[in-house]
Order: sequence, then C-alpha cells, then structure tokens
Amino acid sequence: MIQDTYSEYSSFTSGDLDWAIESFGDNPKLQPEITEFLQSCDLELDGNLADFVTVRSAKKLVACAGMGENVIKCVAVSPTLRGQNITLRLISDVTNLAADMGRYQLFLYTKPDNVETFSRCGFYPLVEMSGVIALMENSPVGLSRYCQSLAQQRQPGQTIGSVVMNANPFTFGHQYLAQQAADNCDWLHVFVVGENSSLITYEDRYALVCEGLKDLPRTTVHPGSIYMISKATFPSYFLKDRGIVDQCHTALDLIIFREHVAPALGITHRFVGTEPFCPVTRKYNEDMKRWLIHEPSMAPVVTVVELERKAQSGTAISASEVRRCLRADNFDHMAELVPQATIDLLRAKYFDPGARVATGTG
Amino acid sequence: MKIIKEAVAGTLESSDLLVKVAPGLPNRLDIHIRSEVIRQFGARIRSVIDETLGQLDVTEGDITIEDKGALDCAIRARVQTAVLRAAGNPPIDWETM
Repeated sequence: MIQDTYSEYSSFTSGDLDWAIESFGDNPKLQPEITEFLQSCDLELDGNLADFVTVRSAKKLVACAGMGENVIKCVAVSPTLRGQNITLRLISDVTNLAADMGRYQLFLYTKPDNVETFSRCGFYPLVEMSGVIALMENSPVGLSRYCQSLAQQRQPGQTIGSVVMNANPFTFGHQYLAQQAADNCDWLHVFVVGENSSLITYEDRYALVCEGLKDLPRTTVHPGSIYMISKATFPSYFLKDRGIVDQCHTALDLIIFREHVAPALGITHRFVGTEPFCPVTRKYNEDMKRWLIHEPSMAPVVTVVELERKAQSGTAISASEVRRCLRADNFDHMAELVPQATIDLLRAKYFDPGARVATGTG
Repeated sequence: MKIIKEAVAGTLESSDLLVKVAPGLPNRLDIHIRSEVIRQFGARIRSVIDETLGQLDVTEGDITIEDKGALDCAIRARVQTAVLRAAGNPPIDWETM
C-alpha cells in the first residue's frame, strides 16, 4: 500500500545500494529482518514503529530509519557503510515520507553520542538523559515558543503548583486532587494531556476539566502540548494497558518538565494522586521524585507531593472504573464517581448499549 | 503570499538543501539557517533567501533551512517550492520570479 502511495520513493538504486520505503503491514519478513539488523547495531526495535526507510546491499539490510507517528527512531547504518553520508539520505527520505503523510513536526530519539550527526540533518537537541538517550526535534524554535507562550501566563506567588491529568474521563478524584493542590499553593496550573488516543477525545476531556474546575480560585487550565506526556515525549504512556513501562521515556518527559515547562511558569510543586491500580502511572509517580527532585540538574527542584486519592465506599476513584461502568451500562454507580457533566457527556456521546467499547488509557 | 500550513522541500544531500516552512508568530518572519558553508557564504545564502521570500511577498512565518552547500539557483528553487506548498499552491506569475 505504501508502495503505491509513495511510488516516487519506492525501490531505486544508487551505486550498489537499493533504497526503499517499506512497512510491516506490506512485508511480514521485514520485522525479523530489521530486529536482527538493529541488534547487530546495539539497538532494539521499538514497538511503535510502522514505516521504514531501508537500504540494502546485495539484498542484505545495511541501513534503516524507522518512523511511528511523528517520531523517528531506530536509525542505524552498518559499520562498513559509515562515513558515506547514508544518515543524511535516510533522514532526508524519512522527512519527506513524513511530510507526505502530513507530519511536519518531527521528533527523533538517539544516543547522546549521535546528537551531533543528527544536528546536521535538520534536528535540534531538546533534552538528554545523560549517557543513555537524547530527544531532538526538527525545529529550532518549537519548545522555546511553547515555553514563551506559557511564560505569558505566569502568576505571582511563592508556591506555584501543577497537576498534569489525562482525565479520561474527568472524575471527582481529579476534582479533589486539583482542590487539594489549589489549597496548598498561591496558584495552580492544570495541564490536560493533549494526545488524542484515549477513549474520550481530547476536546471533550479538556472541556470537562474546565467545567469541573471552573469554581476553583487561582487556577489556570492549560491545553495539552506535544512536550508533555505526548506520543513524542512519552510513547509508552499510551500503551499502558499493555503494562509496558519504559524507563527512558518517563525520564525524558520529566526532564523536559523540570528544565523547560516548570521554569517558564515558575512552578515549584507538582501534585499527583497516589496510584493503587495502574503500574505505569505508579512507576511514573516514582520516577517523578527522581527526575524532578533528586537528580542533579541546572534547573531548580520541583517538589513532588503525593496526595491520597479520594475514595468512594473504600475504593479509590479511578477513571478506568468509570469506563468499566460505561461498558456495563452502570450509570448509577458512575454517578458516585463523576460530576453530572461527565455523565451527561458519556451518555450522549460514548455510550453504545449494543456494543462493547474499547478501553483506552486512564 | 500567506503561509497557511507546514511544508517541506528539498533533501539533505550534498549540494542541496532542506527547507521547512511553517506558520509562525503574528507579524514575524523568522528565518533560521544552518549551513555547512555558513562561514564562507552565510551572507550570500541569507540574501538569496531574503530576496526569494521578498519576490513571493512572504512577510510572516517560520523558515528553517538546512543547507548542504547548494548553489543560489537551488536555494531559490527549494525556497519557492516550500513556500508555494505552504501557501496551498496558489496560481503564480513565474515571469516575475
């Protein structure tokens, strides 16, 4: 299918090398081939990748670059071919392929040692987990523009709190967390995860958070951003139903928060609910203390405050429980867990009496 | 010509350049250039880009250039292509270019 749509790129030869655009869907043999090649280059195949630019010499894979959503990863060139600017051509092709798919804002993961190489390919360094992994983007102004727009919403005060929530959907638990946080600081910034890969659409989640927090004084609700728990900064968050936790991703996401987002707004505290159920969220909370507090950094510490989750008849309120209620047509129980606005929206837009509804993430 | 969406043109191969154009901040034209030959030809590259954008009447947007030692004519062509794509391919009088 890809071959049809992107025919201008498909297999052509330059020198002894065959360049092609391939995807796992088209060629079942591709995945094991790429996995093996990446292993020989000390890399692991990432589960989110679907499309590849491949380079073969005498039918043997000698270089590749992977793309999933707007993220480029698993760029590898066989040691025998290094020094021939293969990487430039790989990134050039993958950038044009992405453009054909309507993706222009691109992110790239690589080892910190290779940041310089990709800096010659139109990418600019964002953050780095020292010695392990670096995240780059293809714009010199992306993150700084975002931080400038945040800085315009800076508020005075000693204690500036923050909460990041997916709110899929918004519950009394989210409301309670924000209230407790707001009580403990001079101003509270609430961020709604911007990625549209949860059961409830981003627009609906954002609207319900605004509605649910509208009476909260000294609080700003911010739209989500690609720089905070997005598929670019934290891809495994959106796979958490599968229980995949990736140490590197939580780290990069939190380093961006500490080094860029928090200073822009003068954020001193980040509030989270205790997590009794979801291992990915629990791990994220633990990592938060490491990367926002303990890890040495040029950026000031952001104190992490874990607040006991609000409980309903002995059990902590969770958005996943609400989604279970939705699937089971149990609106009576749901009424104990979420504000009326959430019920109304779920009933009107997401409740399908005849069908099973996909779970999505919390 | 108004930049209404993101677009790219070009490649990163030697003697070419990759041009990325995107809507930027209001009333601002931001041009970022990285070049292998910035020390020898930085000023010249910049003036070719400014001139091309001027002919296309581009006054707002983010223009990001990754240059691999392209000749003036290549720079002009890639910038024109990227801008036209980003402006939604409006009709154009090539005689004036």
